[in-house]
Order: sequence, then C-alpha cells, then structure tokens
Amino acid sequence: MISLSHFLVVGAVLFGLGLVGFLTRRNLITLFLCAELMLQGVVLNFLAFGRMHGSLNGQVFGLFIITVAACEAGLALALFLMLYRRGRSLDSGLWQTIHEQGIPPVVDVEPLPIYIPDVHPILPVAGRKPGVGPKAEEPSRA
Amino acid sequence: MPPELSNPKLQLAFALVIGALGTYLLLPKPKRRSIASGLFLLIAAVSILGLFVVQTFGKPIGEFIPDILFWLFSTGAIGFGTLQVVQRNPARGAIAFAFVILSSCGLFLLLAAPFLMAATIIIYAGAIIVTFLFVLMLSNVKGASNENDRSREPLLGSLAGFAFIGLILFTLLHAKPVEAASISGEFTELNLPAALLTSDDRSSLREVRIELDKALANDDAKAAAEGAKAAHDKLAEIIGGDGVSGQRKSVLERLRPLIGDPKKPMTHDPRLLAFTKQTLQLQKANHDLEGHLLSSADASDKQSLQKLRDEVTVYSGQGQLPARNVSNIGLLLYSEHLLAVEMAGTLLLVATIGAVAIAGRKKGVAV
Repeated sequence: MISLSHFLVVGAVLFGLGLVGFLTRRNLITLFLCAELMLQGVVLNFLAFGRMHGSLNGQVFGLFIITVAACEAGLALALFLMLYRRGRSLDSGLWQTIHEQGIPPVVDVEPLPIYIPDVHPILPVAGRKPGVGPKAEEPSRA
Repeated sequence: MPPELSNPKLQLAFALVIGALGTYLLLPKPKRRSIASGLFLLIAAVSILGLFVVQTFGKPIGEFIPDILFWLFSTGAIGFGTLQVVQRNPARGAIAFAFVILSSCGLFLLLAAPFLMAATIIIYAGAIIVTFLFVLMLSNVKGASNENDRSREPLLGSLAGFAFIGLILFTLLHAKPVEAASISGEFTELNLPAALLTSDDRSSLREVRIELDKALANDDAKAAAEGAKAAHDKLAEIIGGDGVSGQRKSVLERLRPLIGDPKKPMTHDPRLLAFTKQTLQLQKANHDLEGHLLSSADASDKQSLQKLRDEVTVYSGQGQLPARNVSNIGLLLYSEHLLAVEMAGTLLLVATIGAVAIAGRKKGVAV
C-alpha cells in the first residue's frame, strides 16, 4: 500500500533537487525552471495531504499554485528579456554588482573549455546554382 | 545484509552524502566534470534511498498496478529532475523539465486529481516551457559560455540542497505511524492499518457489487430481492464482522489498560497519545462506514439498491476517480475560496500589466 510518506519523500527530493539547481546554476532560465521544480514538489505535498484527509482543498491549493506559477512565468520572462537586452547574456553573474556593499566580487578563475564546433558534412553540389548559368528562355505565354 | 546497512539513519545519511557528491560531480564546471562517476554515485544514492523508503515506510504490496505506476512516475520525476539540474545545455534542461512535469502529473493522477493533472500539463508543458524555449532560442549561445559551463559554488550548493532533503526525511522517519505503534515490547506487533479498507476487503466489496448488479438486472422481483438480500448479508459480513472493524476493535481493547480512564488520561507519552488518537479516528471512520453502508440498504427498493451499489463501487476503490472531480472543485472554489479566486484573478491581471510594462519598452532602454 502506497502511503502518504511515499509521496512526501518524492516531493522532498524534487524540492531539494530544485534547491541545488537554484543555488548553483547561473543561467537565468535554468534558475527559473529549478524554482518551478521546487513548486512541483510542494504541489505534490498538498495533493498527498489532501488525499489523506479525503478533501479537495489540497487540489484547490494546487490550482492556486499553478496560477501563481503562471504569473511568475510571465513576469520572469519579461525581466529576462530586459536583462538580456542590457547585458547580451543570460548569465546571472553579470548582475552581481548590485549585491550589498563590502562583499568582494566573485571572479571566475578557471578558463572555459575550448569549444570544438560540430563538423557538418559537406554535401556535393547538386544541380546548378540559379542565376549563374545561361538564362533559360521563358516559355512564351502567347 | 549486514546489520549496519539496515539501519535507516545510516542508509539515509549514506544516500544523501553520495547523492550530494554525485550531483557535485555532474554539475557543469570548466574542469573536473566526471559524468560517469557522478552518474554511478547518483544511481547508487537513488537505490539506497529506495531501500530506505521500502524498509521504513513499508514495501508496497497488494495492489499491483498502482505500485508499478508509482515507482515508474516517481523514478521518472526524480531522474529527469536531476537531468534538468545538471544539464549543461539549457534547452535540454527545459525538455527534461517537461518530462518531470509529465511524471509528476502521473503522480497527480494516482492522487485522484485528474483536473489538476490536465491543467498542469497544459499550462506547464504546453505554455511555460515552450515560451522559455523561445527565449532560449533568442539568446543563441554558441560554444562555451559563463552561464552554461560554470556553476556557482557547486560543492557547497549540492551539500546544502541534500542537507535540506536529509532534514525533511529525518523528520519523516521520526513521525511515521509505525514508530508510534511500537511503543513497548507488548505492542511491537501492533501495526496501524494504513487504509480504512484493506485490499482484501476491497476485492470482496467488488464481488458484492457484481452481485448487486445481477440483482438490479433481474426482472423477476422475487429473485431480485433474494439476490439483493444475499449481497446485503455478504456486505454486513465484510463491514461489520470479523473484517475491518474486528481488527480495529481488538487494537482498541488491547490499548484500553494503557489508556485507562478516557476522561483523565494516565499517560503523557506523546507517541502513545498519538497512537491512541489515530486508533480512535480510524474507529470512528469505520463506524461511519458501517452506518452509512448498512443503513442505506433496503433490499426491496430498487432505487435504494442502486444507491447502495454506487456507494459500494466507491468504497471498493473503483469509483475513486469520479468524473465529478471538476464540478466538485468548482463548487469548492466558488463557495469557500471565492476571495482567493478573485485575488488570483487580480494577480494574473497585475502580472500581465507588469510584464507588458517591463518588456514592452522600446525606447529609453540603455542598450
């Protein structure tokens, strides 16, 4: 018999994973999705408790959480767009200058790995480039 | 199995440390990112955690298909969640999050919330993730970049997150009802029944329902009444006899000397008090069930027979996902939570206005 505790464990693990991602990642969109992961864990808890008590109030809570998440998504999207326009990057480390005073800035020491671009296959040219060869006579429309 | 490994606290601590290390190894870093060993550590952590859950909260037995589905969906949610957190490419992370949503929607369905499942899939997987994928494509990052290839304090971050999981799981370990049941040596074999009806009771209730169906379909009034009578007797045997309430009554009787006079409780042991409270609640629920099912049954009347048949269907576990879920949620929303609905609507409106005000500015932005 699957009990309440099983669902609570799953919710706790989801919340913790989201917490790890939110604390460590630097891409703004990944940060946002990790926050949503934490919300999923919370909704799971609400539903499990509602099921245990045999009431629908847990589901109503879940519904409101989804509403708040939708609002949050819209606002976060707008903010990210504006930050991207200013900094040309989605890196949250760009905005570390707005922290409180007296804290030394974080400097990235390790060099980034060298990116080797994917080598696309070179296809043989098929046919003839349009506009290069002698112009074909257009058929008369008489 | 060696005795150290069967200690739940050790299992939990071991799984959490291994999990934190595995996540640390997998998080994107310019150097020292070892995918194979991180993956190995994470899989080991998840298996130890599964062992912990099975040993502590009981092995799910009895109803086969929900268990399989539960393990499938929970493993999917946790696995794809890990993938989302450690994934270097944010677009792939978003896709992994979509799979997390799908898995947790399966869990929602197991928790009898079909409306919320549909709403979550439509809103999250359909709207939010797709919108964020658009933004990701807008910022087309080629090659290595600061935001995707670096993590902020990966070791400390993963340790903090897993310490948080450990906090919750240790609390769950101490709060579980089985712990309350093993108060003293005399009561070690007392296990609180988790559900109101065991799975055996449910399958017998299904048989009763089939008999009631037969009685309802019978045109001959006398034969129908006989069938209904037989079904009714069987129901009384399941509900009131040696079945559900029998177990619970014996539990209560054995607790009686420990509780003493109900007006002034002799014990102050919180676990004993919790156990007594749980038992009393279960007994009350059971009493309600008996009165409800047996009083509404009049074997001669077809209408009340139909009603009884519906009730039995619900209690036998087959009618637990009723199609009335949406209408009941709506009723609750617009009767008890009306203010909250209005506030949610206002919040959506304000968020829309805010989003337009923030993102829609074309001039005056220092680019």
